[in-house]
Amino acid sequence: MAVTTFAAIDVGSYDLELTIYELSAKCGIQVVDHIRQAAAAGKDTYRQGKIGYALIDEMCQILKGFADVMQVYRISAYRAYATSALREARNNKIVLDQIRVRTGIEVKILSNSEQRFLCYKAIASKENEFQKIIQKGTAIADVGSGSVQLSLFDKDALVTTQYLRLGALRIRETLGSADADDTSMNQLIEELADNDIQTFKKLFLKDRDIRNIIATGICALYLNRRASAAGHSDRINVQEFTEFYASIRTMTPEQIGERYDIPLEYAYLMLPSMTVYSKMFEITGAEMLWVPGVNLCDGIAAEYAEQKKLMKFTHDFSEDILVAARNIAKRYMGNKRHTAMLEKTVLSIFDCMKKYHGLGKRERLLLQISAILHDCGKYISMRTPADCAFHIIMSTEIIGISHEEREIVANVVKYNTVDFSYEEDPESNRDPYTNVLIAKLTAILRIANAMDRSHKQKFDNIRTTFKNQQLIITTESLEDITLEKALFEKKADFFEEVYGIRPILKQRKGV
Amino acid sequence: MEEKKKDFLNPDYYRNRELSWLAFNYRVLSEARDKTIPLLERVKFLGITASNLDEFVMVRVASLKDMVHADYTKPDIAGLKAGAQLALIGEECHRLVDMQYNTYNRSLLPLLEKQGIRIITKHEAMTEKEREFADRYFDETVYPVLTPMAVDPSRPFPLIRNKTLNIAALLQKKKGSQELEFATVQVPSVLPRLLRVPSESGTSLILLEEVIERNIARLFLNYDVICAHPYRIMRNADLTIDEEEAEDLLEAIEKQLKQRQWGEVIKLEVEEGMDKRLLKILKKEFSIKEEDIYAISGPLDLTFLSKLYGLEGYEHLKTERYVPQPVMALQNEDDIFANIRKGDILLHHPYQTFEPVVDFIRRSAKDPNVLAIKQTLYRVSGNSPIIASLAQAAENGKQVTVLVELKARFDEENNINWAKMLEKAGCHVIYGLLGLKTHCKITLVVRREDEGIRRYVHLGTGNYNDTTAKLYTDCGLMTCQKSIGEDATAVFNMLSGYSEPLSWNKLAVAPIWLKNKFLRLIHRETDNALEGRPAHIIAKMNSLCDQTMIAALYEASAAGVKIELIIRGICGLKVGIPGISDNISVRSIVGNFLEHSRIFYFYNNGQEDVYMGSADWMPRNLDRRVEITFPVENPDLKLQVIHILTTELEDNVKAHVLQPDGTYEKVDKRGKTLVNSQQQFCEEAVQAARPKHREPMPRKFTPLS
Repeated sequence: MAVTTFAAIDVGSYDLELTIYELSAKCGIQVVDHIRQAAAAGKDTYRQGKIGYALIDEMCQILKGFADVMQVYRISAYRAYATSALREARNNKIVLDQIRVRTGIEVKILSNSEQRFLCYKAIASKENEFQKIIQKGTAIADVGSGSVQLSLFDKDALVTTQYLRLGALRIRETLGSADADDTSMNQLIEELADNDIQTFKKLFLKDRDIRNIIATGICALYLNRRASAAGHSDRINVQEFTEFYASIRTMTPEQIGERYDIPLEYAYLMLPSMTVYSKMFEITGAEMLWVPGVNLCDGIAAEYAEQKKLMKFTHDFSEDILVAARNIAKRYMGNKRHTAMLEKTVLSIFDCMKKYHGLGKRERLLLQISAILHDCGKYISMRTPADCAFHIIMSTEIIGISHEEREIVANVVKYNTVDFSYEEDPESNRDPYTNVLIAKLTAILRIANAMDRSHKQKFDNIRTTFKNQQLIITTESLEDITLEKALFEKKADFFEEVYGIRPILKQRKGV
Repeated sequence: MEEKKKDFLNPDYYRNRELSWLAFNYRVLSEARDKTIPLLERVKFLGITASNLDEFVMVRVASLKDMVHADYTKPDIAGLKAGAQLALIGEECHRLVDMQYNTYNRSLLPLLEKQGIRIITKHEAMTEKEREFADRYFDETVYPVLTPMAVDPSRPFPLIRNKTLNIAALLQKKKGSQELEFATVQVPSVLPRLLRVPSESGTSLILLEEVIERNIARLFLNYDVICAHPYRIMRNADLTIDEEEAEDLLEAIEKQLKQRQWGEVIKLEVEEGMDKRLLKILKKEFSIKEEDIYAISGPLDLTFLSKLYGLEGYEHLKTERYVPQPVMALQNEDDIFANIRKGDILLHHPYQTFEPVVDFIRRSAKDPNVLAIKQTLYRVSGNSPIIASLAQAAENGKQVTVLVELKARFDEENNINWAKMLEKAGCHVIYGLLGLKTHCKITLVVRREDEGIRRYVHLGTGNYNDTTAKLYTDCGLMTCQKSIGEDATAVFNMLSGYSEPLSWNKLAVAPIWLKNKFLRLIHRETDNALEGRPAHIIAKMNSLCDQTMIAALYEASAAGVKIELIIRGICGLKVGIPGISDNISVRSIVGNFLEHSRIFYFYNNGQEDVYMGSADWMPRNLDRRVEITFPVENPDLKLQVIHILTTELEDNVKAHVLQPDGTYEKVDKRGKTLVNSQQQFCEEAVQAARPKHREPMPRKFTPLS
């Protein structure tokens, strides 16, 4: 039986974690070894904006140890990801370089949405329970050391996800300078958390019926252990949680550590973490907390296993990404019917040209998201919708796609209506490949958009064929399409520029 | 009516650990006095009491002296302060020493002589021929290595080394002043203490110091030797403070570090009848108090008796040597890994051989599928095959992690040497965690198999020492259970400095977790008893002196839990206190093998739980060491382990039972079948290893069809 040994490394804001997995089609994902050591990169980043050399040294030493362990298991593949502390550190390129030179480990910095998506995948890898739980309104509260991500599920799909700069370590560090004794410190923590979470409630929670909370994050693992040690499952009901929270809120970290057998370095983050979960209970009125006991490494392994076709999720993640995008479109009052039409058209064009443009599933998804979000800029300004859309997209989290991918979507949407600029934007560090991709997707979006210029869905039945280097779009619409045809011709110029093919729009009347 | 809350912590309910230890040494001494035991075995036991006592003085008495110097006034669990303890210990030690020499002079010497082994106690008693031999030996061998040292105004009193045997002499110049001068000479430790001299029949032996004493005049040619007597001192020379003491004591002593008298002499042994003038000089030079001086009526330092035991040609005076038996589960064609995969394997040393453990590591070193070997080493024998295998494994490209505990008492130097050797071979040698001695005995072998990574684990109650495994009773478990494999990995990760795991599957690890686990298990029995269910605890260990644990046992006993303890050494618990410990019995088995395994049994309302491990219930084990206790879950193995306990509880030959007055008494054997548990285990092991009697094949000729 083929067994792959895989290592996932999480260079977190508070600690470094290595998990060794065995992946096989038969047994799925099995943890073989798990080690963890605290080295709080976040402490430096959140205070000084960069990571000091002493800490870099410490991190390298820990990672060197990880590399040795990986060697023991003769790892065939690994992925090492870093999260918010490195993401936000101004000197992160230097840190990554040091790590590469001194340990041979290539660390990639994850964007927040990628990170959350992995965590979400880790949860979803606990398939049975996950599918059951998200049938009812569910919130995922991922409380990291640097930030909190709150995501809402409704009927099997993700509806929104928001990033709050409210991580457990960040709270501690923010309040670090506040001169307060332990109990008043605990009050300050609650106040700080309350403020952000109330805002979240106001903006995103209305009309939603949330029954369950899924807890992940740095201290959730201890909750999970507590729950399973007590004999019951990994679920904690609201009363149990309230009691637990009431007891720890009067304790110092030392007391928490002793009472609940948690190493002091983690006990320190226990209260800020639990405060966030407690607030979530408060604002949602949820009844139950599920602690799946997974971490980022599990997500990394799940993603790898999925890519290597060693496991398949029953949950459709692309659908989550699309639902999230549609929710953004809804928030900015996009034209729903027009968008639906547009989605259909772009995909139809994309699919029939598959062999010609050489793009894959992921690009198809980006194109679809671009179509969904193409008119969000109008919410702000009818005069400069392109720029507004660009900024909206760039500042909105779309879970599951990376920062780079989001930038692609924003550009595709932007160039849908303004002239494409071949000059590379000096501010972005896009590679040439990405530029070409943006052009390719933009070309498709443009002609498709032109076909519904009137927003009247005249082309409700189109067929696209790509034969003999010709893209022919046939419509059976009986309406007058002069406007669309004229516009189509204009947009076809750019399409030809990109693909070297002139798309032809045909109207077929009669049988 | 509300019962008055019982104070289980009352100092009256506890026994001082040092006094309890001395009682243990008395039990060993009683073996030397037991007429049913072969003579040379008795001699060996007497030797053991001597080396035991030496270690006790050097570590425990020294530590108490430290407390006195540091004005440390916290009383022990029995409410005794250091000074009071020292006074009581002093009395007991004197009594013990008297009994040792009583045994030596009155029983053993005459009996040995009867068997043809003559120990010449005084050089004056030698025959002419013997004298000649001794003198020649002195000239040729002894004289060149002697360094006599005289004391006069220009030469100060020399440094007398700890535990060495010396001869002090008073000299007078042949010509000149009448003044007496002091001189001392060390009995060289490089030469054998016991010297065989030619004799007509049997064996004649003389002690080295007697040979020197006889020829002492030749060392001081211009002097007359007025008198010469052997003496021996013990110093508080240990630079480290005994780990068993409380942390606040360490702080107190650190503060007083400058005032601490390094190398202070804490015990002086002299030959009985030593010249008064000589004694006075020693007393002054060593500034030692009267109560710490022991006048010995016989040879000083009886540890030479272990050499006497090794005398060849007297096998009939020894217990027949037992050969550890093979383990049945491994007597087949399969390799050790395949055998472990069939199910957990229990090892019971020394009844069963230690070879499987050695083989486990040897095979792992060679097996191409083994990725890593991790092992904790505490005390290892000098020429350990295990170390050789580990080094070989590293050379074979396996990742070998060895935790070497450098602080193993009296073994530091030895440990450092082979730790270096392992490092040279490419092993990753780690030294454990700050402030925690690593005492657990665990080996983890990570192997890549078709189904993925599989971990093989050996867990033991005794050290990875193939020599002591022939003498100490210990248990071991070999398993490839996934849950234990994960825990074992976590233990080594922790020892390598990574964060502790989120949770443990099956292993209970000290510090932090183990004590709570035991307390929970005891409380569970208490609760069961309170609710009227049967409740029973059997615990076997070397020492019990942790106050919390004892209090929990008292509470359990008061609730009606039946508690049977098998504790070889120190026991801080008292039996028979009405309402407190009436349900507790304590027995100590002192036999040919040193009882060393730790086994814990909890009735658990019928779902019997059995654990084994490396930890005693002492504060040092539970709080300041890395220890592991592991469950035995396989039903067959569980029965075997319970059988060990029940057999020892039935032992009426070697068991000493603790009495309410704190003394130990042997079991009344009248009308009972004799049960000697160690002997029985030997017989059972031989029986089990004997090839099964085959069913005779039915004689039937089958025609070819």
